[in-house]
Amino acid sequence: MEKQLIISVGREFGSGGHEIAEKLAKHYGVQLLDHNLLDEIAAERSVDVKHLKGLDEKHKNLLSSRTVRGYSSSPEENLYLLQFDYLQKKAAGGESFVVVGRCSETILKEYDGLISIFVLADKEQKVDRIMRKYELTEGNAKKMIREKDLKRRRYHNGFCKEKWGDSKNYDISINSSRLGIDGTVASLVDYIDKRQQMN
Amino acid sequence: MLSQVFAVVIFIAMFVFIVTEIVERHIVSLICALLTIILVFGVGMHSMEAVIDTINLKSIITPEFWYTAGEASGSSSGINWETIVFIFGMMVMVEGMARVGFFRWLCMRIAKLVKYKVIPVFITFMVLSTVLAMFIDSITVILFLAAVTIELSQLLKFNPVPMILSEIFCANLGGSATMCGDPPNIIIGTSLGYSFTDFVTNTGLIAGISLIAVLIYFYLIFKKDLLANASCSVDYSSLPSPESTITDRKGFVVSSVIFAAAIILLITHAQTGLTVSSIGFIVAIVTLATSGKYAMMLLKKVDYKTLLFFIGLFVVIGGLEQTGILEIMAGFIGKISGGNSMVMIAIIIWLSAIASAFVDNIPFATTMIPIIKSLSAAYGIDLSILAWTLAMGTDIGGSATPIGASANVVGIATASREGYVIKWGLYCKKMLPATLMVVLISMLVVYLRYL
Repeated sequence: MEKQLIISVGREFGSGGHEIAEKLAKHYGVQLLDHNLLDEIAAERSVDVKHLKGLDEKHKNLLSSRTVRGYSSSPEENLYLLQFDYLQKKAAGGESFVVVGRCSETILKEYDGLISIFVLADKEQKVDRIMRKYELTEGNAKKMIREKDLKRRRYHNGFCKEKWGDSKNYDISINSSRLGIDGTVASLVDYIDKRQQMN
Repeated sequence: MLSQVFAVVIFIAMFVFIVTEIVERHIVSLICALLTIILVFGVGMHSMEAVIDTINLKSIITPEFWYTAGEASGSSSGINWETIVFIFGMMVMVEGMARVGFFRWLCMRIAKLVKYKVIPVFITFMVLSTVLAMFIDSITVILFLAAVTIELSQLLKFNPVPMILSEIFCANLGGSATMCGDPPNIIIGTSLGYSFTDFVTNTGLIAGISLIAVLIYFYLIFKKDLLANASCSVDYSSLPSPESTITDRKGFVVSSVIFAAAIILLITHAQTGLTVSSIGFIVAIVTLATSGKYAMMLLKKVDYKTLLFFIGLFVVIGGLEQTGILEIMAGFIGKISGGNSMVMIAIIIWLSAIASAFVDNIPFATTMIPIIKSLSAAYGIDLSILAWTLAMGTDIGGSATPIGASANVVGIATASREGYVIKWGLYCKKMLPATLMVVLISMLVVYLRYL
């Protein structure tokens, strides 16, 4: 029986983390779970995905939500829990996959097959990438990076004890500016293969 | 003056921490209670008597705590142990009923009775939610109703959100109808000495009239949504039979008898002289005694955090009361209204409703009780009129927003965990008009009946 491989990719906005996750999923021939996680959940529960859009990777608003006996009125927290349940079920079923963000490095910590990665990059490279990708001015690209990273940090730290981007929370933290996207993927594949051999 | 400043600062800090949920609310209220004892009663007032009055332990050993020979009497300020003991007893009983599958059985039985037709299920579940919430906490009512609603929606192919929203509203409405339906009512009843019958014949009547309006309102706004995808060819065999939901047949019979006995004791408590604390104590003891090996499990399931929250809260409110802050607030309301009872009622009901839509209605109602007592004494308005006004405002106002009442939170969470995420916009669009309608009905009934 093939060993289970779950790759969790946390990423700074503009670091190329998503592209790296895509390439890793392709390399290992496993499913990539990112925004499509919502489509999967909606299909599984026979609900319209439009109800879930707009809440993905958003933090809980303390003032507009309330918790009673462990039940929360926060749509963001409830979506987080839906994703939590979905990922847990998938992992418990022995499936291999690559998952981008969504606190997956914490949610799936108990699985031996989990390899958690955090991708960061130098500011210049991130700005350059975002300017090209979204056709933005330098100022707007910097603003977008700041806002997106703040959103990811608040989402992660709101639901997990461990801090977003803290190297202690991941198996490996890697700066994609050093080796470029393909070089980073190659290094990660080397690391993942070695980990797989050890398991 | 110093004690008043301490009391207000502690009270505001408690509210802020409760709303932001940085720390669990029972811890917040207990810490604030401790600060009240030290800073307000100790440093500010140098009064050991105030501490003893607020802790109020002596009330438990008085015969009136357990039995009142004639008219029910209101308890003094401070910790309302009658409320604590009653809620504890009801929690034990409800856990016992849940263990044997009573609530799931009841929901399935009613769905089967109306032949699993979507609109009849929708109407009967609203009525069921109202009736159950008259005697049982709304959290339990919604937990079971929402779960069964989702189960039925998957088979009958309808959107469960409209039905769950209607059930939430009706649970809050049902809670307003009786003395034991909603915590603010228990606190109002025990603090001011009103009986179960007093509530049923006053707030119960208002809730009954409102229910008719609410049934029509929700039917009109949700009919199209509910029938949009309703399937004609349904495999009913995949649904569990009502009997199969009972997990312990003997326990089921015993729990049903205890529940029926609790209702009879509550309805007749003004005649029998048994206080609600006695009734709570009796149902807890009987439930535990008949649960055998499950007794310990039931005790563990009791929501002690809520009970501790109440205890802390009563002390903090006691601080405001002992320092005269609440009298100042009462004077302020009296001044604005110019002593006009119609204006005063309008202020109390709308202020209570608006506040309860955003903050926990329990601290709000507890704070308002001494205020309406002062208003009644100062302006000669019958206290009971203000009490029914306060009860309706706090109980119904909570329905307006997703965070206004516990039932809302539990219903929203249950639906959301199944993929039916309910956001603020959708919730308020449907529930706010219903809330405004019922608060308006309540105010008009109070005007027409009592003034």
